[in-house]
Amino acid sequence: MRLELRAITKRFGSLVANDQISITVEPGQIHSLLGENGAGKSTLMNVLFGLLHPDDGEILIDGVPTTFENSGEAVRRGIGMVHQHFMLVPVFTVAENVVLGFEPTKSFNRVDYQKATDDIRRVSKEFNLEVDPDAIIESLPVGIQQRVEILKALSHDAQLLILDEPTAVLTPQEIDALMEIMRSLAAAGKSILFITHKLKEVKAIADVITIIRQGKVVGTAEPSASESELASMMVGRDVVLTVQKEPFSPGEDVFEIRDLVVRDDRGLAAVNGVSLDVRAGEILALAGVQGNGQTELVEAIAGMRPVESGTITLNGHDITNASPRKVLDAGLGHIPEDRQRNGLVMSMTVADNLVLNTPRRAPFAKRGTRNLAAVNANAVRLINEFDIRTESPQELVSSLSGGNQQKVIVARELSRDLKFLVASQPTRGLDVGSIEYVHRQMVNHRNLGNAALVVSSELDEVFALADRIAVMYAGKISGVVDPSVSRESIGLLMAGTITETAHD
Amino acid sequence: MSIAPAPAPTQVATFRPSGRTRIISIIMIVIGLLTALVFGLGSAASAHSSLTFTPINLANAPWHLGRLTLLTRWTNVILGLITVALGAEVFLRQPRRGVMVRFGVVAVLFLLALLLWASRAPGPSQVGYVNVTAVLIGSSEVAMVLIFGALSGLMCERSGVVNIAIEGQYIGGAFFGSVIASTTHDFFLAAIAGMVAGALLGLLLAFLSLRYLVDQIIVGVVIVTMISYLSSYLNLQVLTPYPQYNTGNLAPNLPIPLLSKIPIIGPVFFNQSAFFYLMLVLVGVISFALFKTRYGLHVRAVGEHPHAAATVGINVVRVRYINVVLGGAIAGIGGVAFMASQGQFQPGYTSGLGYIALAAMIFGRWRPSGAVAASVIFGLSVYLSENLQAYSIPISTEILGMFPYIITIVVVAGLIGRVRAPGADGIPYRHD
Repeated sequence: MRLELRAITKRFGSLVANDQISITVEPGQIHSLLGENGAGKSTLMNVLFGLLHPDDGEILIDGVPTTFENSGEAVRRGIGMVHQHFMLVPVFTVAENVVLGFEPTKSFNRVDYQKATDDIRRVSKEFNLEVDPDAIIESLPVGIQQRVEILKALSHDAQLLILDEPTAVLTPQEIDALMEIMRSLAAAGKSILFITHKLKEVKAIADVITIIRQGKVVGTAEPSASESELASMMVGRDVVLTVQKEPFSPGEDVFEIRDLVVRDDRGLAAVNGVSLDVRAGEILALAGVQGNGQTELVEAIAGMRPVESGTITLNGHDITNASPRKVLDAGLGHIPEDRQRNGLVMSMTVADNLVLNTPRRAPFAKRGTRNLAAVNANAVRLINEFDIRTESPQELVSSLSGGNQQKVIVARELSRDLKFLVASQPTRGLDVGSIEYVHRQMVNHRNLGNAALVVSSELDEVFALADRIAVMYAGKISGVVDPSVSRESIGLLMAGTITETAHD
Repeated sequence: MSIAPAPAPTQVATFRPSGRTRIISIIMIVIGLLTALVFGLGSAASAHSSLTFTPINLANAPWHLGRLTLLTRWTNVILGLITVALGAEVFLRQPRRGVMVRFGVVAVLFLLALLLWASRAPGPSQVGYVNVTAVLIGSSEVAMVLIFGALSGLMCERSGVVNIAIEGQYIGGAFFGSVIASTTHDFFLAAIAGMVAGALLGLLLAFLSLRYLVDQIIVGVVIVTMISYLSSYLNLQVLTPYPQYNTGNLAPNLPIPLLSKIPIIGPVFFNQSAFFYLMLVLVGVISFALFKTRYGLHVRAVGEHPHAAATVGINVVRVRYINVVLGGAIAGIGGVAFMASQGQFQPGYTSGLGYIALAAMIFGRWRPSGAVAASVIFGLSVYLSENLQAYSIPISTEILGMFPYIITIVVVAGLIGRVRAPGADGIPYRHD
């Protein structure tokens, strides 16, 4: 299929999410759409898939102008989409998910599952995508679920496949497998639109790269372009992709976890016997695919989730099952995973958010009344020091950009007298410039001789920051390794295929 | 752009039942001990309980079964010990499945022991026997009403909308059903009237929660409250001065030839009103529609993951409208059925059956067959709470009236977090 987008424009109120975007995808081509979070990639894809209607511009399929009332129509016209958040019903079987909306039926409107299963077997054989049609989706690993999404699109006879940030939840090996599938689909004549913000992947797979920034196409590039060229096009200025670090000189153990068991909301042991040490002057990065217990581990450390068994020690104090206030008083700084839910009160001002975990403390309060002058002075100081872009300290934090919201949290945590910093996915959803900034702040904190635990599912971030890397899989530490190891061996640890405890 | 959480499949293997299973097992053991001590050893050693089986109305019983006489004390001690054993088994083995099924068995055993104890002779009761067939017939009427309600809740919740307004739809159906039945003397028209009343209330719920995304629980409660006052007002203004619009609406029994002559089973299952048979058909139709048809697959997809349904072109809001309106209509018929089993409309006489129906749906794990089983248990318990006074037992009517609700609390509390509601149940759908 030859797809042409001509001058697509989509506005949300005063925000122009897509501004006159034009892209052409040739049959059998892997066309990569590169842009930062918030650049308008997902909006564009939702327009193309019939989930949103463009305010202006047109979509041409094989030269014919087309409009889609809903995504069912887009599917019927041969467009398939693999969403970033999988659009699969977790309690349904593979077969039920694949046929949903396009069911073959028998008498009395009954779904013909026999035919459905046969069709799936045929398509999975044709494209070499092996899946058990009777398996329940939620029992499948993420990589296989993604395969089901691809299979779903193909069995509806998709000629153009949109892959929206498909690698975000995959291990490096699963990413390799996905790329293999993409190549073979392209070889079979399918067009592929690959949306990502990861430079390495683009270079590895794309035939053509279109870069968008702030809703506009800013240019195209060849896959042979260097990563820093691509990054500067994406960001609009030169960026430093590596963080400068002082040589590693670890001190005493500051933080210690022993045999920790923590349950998730469903009562399952999400953290199942984890032991870790973090020393002064060290960043320990905790790598792993999302959902392997990292979230629960961090919540347990921060006092936000009960510990079933095991101990957490910070600077000699036992903080197991202590309240968040006690944990903070013991010298823990916490940059939470979901900054808008757990890091900030969105309806409060920047100044108030900057004292959110010390509001009762002098000089911000005295005899039960707040000292607003001190709060304000603190805000002015931190806004300057951490380069927070805000109109005034009295601005609501919800009106700041994601990067600046994160800077508010980083400023608040790092300006306290910390013994230990826990940062969970500290740069998720941030633009490259903010990522650079947050990384520098954390490395500075470490260079001053402090300890930090950084939880990240982005391997680039792990390698940029870590002095040691621990990998978490299925609630356990599958290995603790030196950052000099290859991405492949980290990938194997992330997938749980090997476990090792290589002490440094 | 956040990343979808990806549960690691191996975590399932490390599952260990939570304290909740243990609490349920302890409740079971306590019930068992209570049964053995109070109902068993609390009865005089010489006391007997008699069970009779011949229905009071002999028209359909060309058979006669003798009475079964049991020693109250030892029968109840045995029932109590069985309950304790079931509780102990759950406590020790902590099975992952079937805990609530066992709890259902325990509830039935407890009710049976209570009945034997209440009817013991010599004892305080004037009635020295339990007519098993009469108890089953009485319970089946309540169960029928509950099943209509549970099916209504199920239709709505499978599509992702919580229908807590079942009680209101009962009341609406009962009111209009009574007026139409009194004026036309035609129960078919009465059922249609009740259906329309229930469907309109369903439409109101759907409109507010789907168009304006109002909290579904609040809308539901508001509808119930509004309808109960409205029906009281209309009752006072219309039905009290003109009693001819609200009288003599007892639905006739339609015995099925031959089958109705089977001992016990016949009078309970095959000598019922048309509403009862309609309920049986409905259970089958809804089971088939939800789990075999294309329509059902769409409904369940919308209830579990509306965005996934939307991406394949299913109109989420339309599916929800259809199901909520259908659910309302079903509850409306339930209201007519209730009215037809009582003979007329009275304000407030549904007394919370709609909420028990919702609990039966949860107990039945959002499945029609489960809802039927749960409704039978709740039906038995509601019937007994209303009829045990006849045995002049030393428990006040009001306390007995609490009985079904206590079971409801235990069941629902025991089930939350244990059975899984449809993924998007009660969550408004925003198109984005």
